[in-house]
Amino acid sequence: MPMGATEHISKQFETDLDTTRTRVLQMGGLVEAQILAAIQGFTSGDAAVIAQVIDNDARVNGYEVAIDGACNHIVVKRQPAASDLRLIMAISKIVTDLERMGDEAKKIARMAKRIHEHGGQHVQRFPAIRHASQIAVKMLRQALDAFARLDAASAAEVMKEDSEIDSEFKSVLRQLITYMMEDPRTITAALETVWVAKAVERIGDHAKNISEQVIYIVKGTDVRHTSFADIEKELSRE
Amino acid sequence: MDTSAVPAAQRPTIHTAVRATAPSDADVEPRQALRPKLSIRSLNFYYGGFQAIKNVTMDIPERKVTAFIGPSGCGKSTLLRTFNRMYALYPEQRAEGEILMDGENLLTTKRDVSLIRARIGMVFQKPTPFPMSIFDNIAFGVNLFENLGRRDMAERVEWALTRAALWNEVKDKLNQSGQSLSGGQQQRLCIARCIAIKPDVLLLDEPCSALDPISTAKVEELIHELKTDYTVVIVTHNMQQAARVSDFTAYMYLGEMIEYDATDIIFIKPKRQATEDYITGRFG
Amino acid sequence: MNPVDASNPLYRSRRRLNFFLLTVSGAALLFGLFWLTWILGNLLYEGGNALARATLYYQMTPPPGGDGGLANAIVGSLIMVTAGTLIGTPIGILAGTYLAEYGRGGWLANATRFLNDVLLSAPSIVIGLFVYSVYVAQVGHFSAWAGSIALGLLVIPVVVRTTDDMLKLVPDSLREAAMALGCPMWRMVMFITYRAARTGILTGILLAVARISGETAPLLFTALNNQFWSMDMNAPMANLPVVIFQFAMSPYEDWRRLAWGGAALITIAVLLLNILARALFRKSQ
Repeated sequence: MPMGATEHISKQFETDLDTTRTRVLQMGGLVEAQILAAIQGFTSGDAAVIAQVIDNDARVNGYEVAIDGACNHIVVKRQPAASDLRLIMAISKIVTDLERMGDEAKKIARMAKRIHEHGGQHVQRFPAIRHASQIAVKMLRQALDAFARLDAASAAEVMKEDSEIDSEFKSVLRQLITYMMEDPRTITAALETVWVAKAVERIGDHAKNISEQVIYIVKGTDVRHTSFADIEKELSRE
Repeated sequence: MDTSAVPAAQRPTIHTAVRATAPSDADVEPRQALRPKLSIRSLNFYYGGFQAIKNVTMDIPERKVTAFIGPSGCGKSTLLRTFNRMYALYPEQRAEGEILMDGENLLTTKRDVSLIRARIGMVFQKPTPFPMSIFDNIAFGVNLFENLGRRDMAERVEWALTRAALWNEVKDKLNQSGQSLSGGQQQRLCIARCIAIKPDVLLLDEPCSALDPISTAKVEELIHELKTDYTVVIVTHNMQQAARVSDFTAYMYLGEMIEYDATDIIFIKPKRQATEDYITGRFG
Repeated sequence: MNPVDASNPLYRSRRRLNFFLLTVSGAALLFGLFWLTWILGNLLYEGGNALARATLYYQMTPPPGGDGGLANAIVGSLIMVTAGTLIGTPIGILAGTYLAEYGRGGWLANATRFLNDVLLSAPSIVIGLFVYSVYVAQVGHFSAWAGSIALGLLVIPVVVRTTDDMLKLVPDSLREAAMALGCPMWRMVMFITYRAARTGILTGILLAVARISGETAPLLFTALNNQFWSMDMNAPMANLPVVIFQFAMSPYEDWRRLAWGGAALITIAVLLLNILARALFRKSQ
């Protein structure tokens, strides 16, 4: 049930929208699991988990195609307007972000595999990366939650957290540079770790994008490329 | 639906419409171009004892397309028919308030109502070709106010038919009855008849409800063309049509103006829940 | 079992009822047609001989026992029917226009419409007596003018009624479309609604002509009859219905034959007018 106080006259339309929304949440859940598994593979080097993440990406892609198809179907059949229009437009962007997150998870898994194959004993396990990835997953979860409840305030909080990830990424980078300067033999492994850190940072960006779409659904204002202060001003306006 | 929350006298103005955050045609154009052509002030309308329009106040901008939407019986057609005082044909109908066009209150003016109607053309739901030739259908209205020679009249007829995107289809059969044309052609003939007398305002009362999709598309294209010279007001049951052709949209319900704003705002992020419910098909 | 089945008793009884009513109404139709064809057949049989004789069309009505035709009566009828139509039609059309266009549910229009309906079904002899008392009795002699006025009075209600009905068939949207162009009302009526309703109105006029061309009673008290050729509208004038009335009841064989001929002539003329009216109306549909 979106914002409307009443349901659509067309039950079929209502069902179509509900189904699509549910599938976005399912896809989000899958992507979240992928990210968690990828990070786990990265830290533990468990080959089975890594292989599973790489395999599962096809499912994420499948979701994206199916949900986009459903959006097209609704646009063609219903010519949605107002909140329905915003919901469909936003969903079609959200699934792109989710799919990219899936790609990032796969990328982390690939890197983990490579680092592991180079010889697990050289891998630097950075608590900072784990911390950043926890924030990223939390952001994703909160963004999806905001999407499910159409909660603009909660979505705005997600956007605030993105800067936290950015600073984590910078600190990881600083640490890695220190390692590499101290011991050039770690350069290959360190560079690959940079890629992982970058992937986590990207996941945070995508979660932020999803939150922006949630705000668009609820408020009808496009808050992309807007300063956070302006967004808060927009949200307080009623 | 909760309509009690809507104040009776809502005064959406063109000014607020332009301040919209969503991009629209209106945004790009200089604001002073949006001179109000018709200013409706506290308009009430009665069919006998039944009040069909309740305290409507709005400005209709010049050389723009303004659409009225709303469920059947919401008063949108009635409102349209007050602009050219069509209701005056029926003694039990009366209007109160002001409808200003260029500073003149159309409801109380001493001038002959024919003169007002000649400046505010109207096209109806069903095509209404007169029982005469295509040529005479156009010439009839022109003859009312102008004494044109043969050649001038022929030129005017061609001009109007061309403007209504009908010339190429009828130029070889101008002497045939207007009623021999197809429904879509008849409706464009009626539009041509209207613009032949060069009015300032064009009122379209569900002009496409009896037409097939191709004819509808042609009429909609025509509306878009006419906007450069005329102020167009259209009543439509088809919300998508309002979204397609209009610059401004007014949503009416039970005789009240619920929301009036730039079309993009109404269809992307309306300000009122009642509008939202109607636009998204949650009306019940 | 599905109730939609040929053995369903409801269905069977409905079929029986349908068959019964169809038979009864068919029999009624045949009964009516039987008399109609008998009358027409008898008329043509008896009048046919008279119609075939050319003298019917150019000789005057004869004295008893003499040879003659109906020329003066035919011309007299044509003159008076034409005059009556010319008197009644404009008044009828204007009154019908008032009812349909201007009166529109006002009390005057409603009262007029009611009175017109009364007049429409008034016996024609009443009209004849009325014209006799207000015109013939005043001027002191019968005349063709009096006959024409009486016929005109019969035309009016028919034309009022058809004009009113036909104008009401013109959709209001057409009127609104004309008014929306800034057209004054009289011009809208003249150029739009009359034009849209013209075949209907014409049909009404033809039917009115058909009605008055057979009327005897109003002429009996007004135009009377004339044995001779007369074109003077101020004098009594010969006319077919009254000639038929007089000759048919006479004991003379050749007078009765002429009466049959006149009756057949009127009947054929009325038939042709009706067919013409129908054809016109169908074309407009």
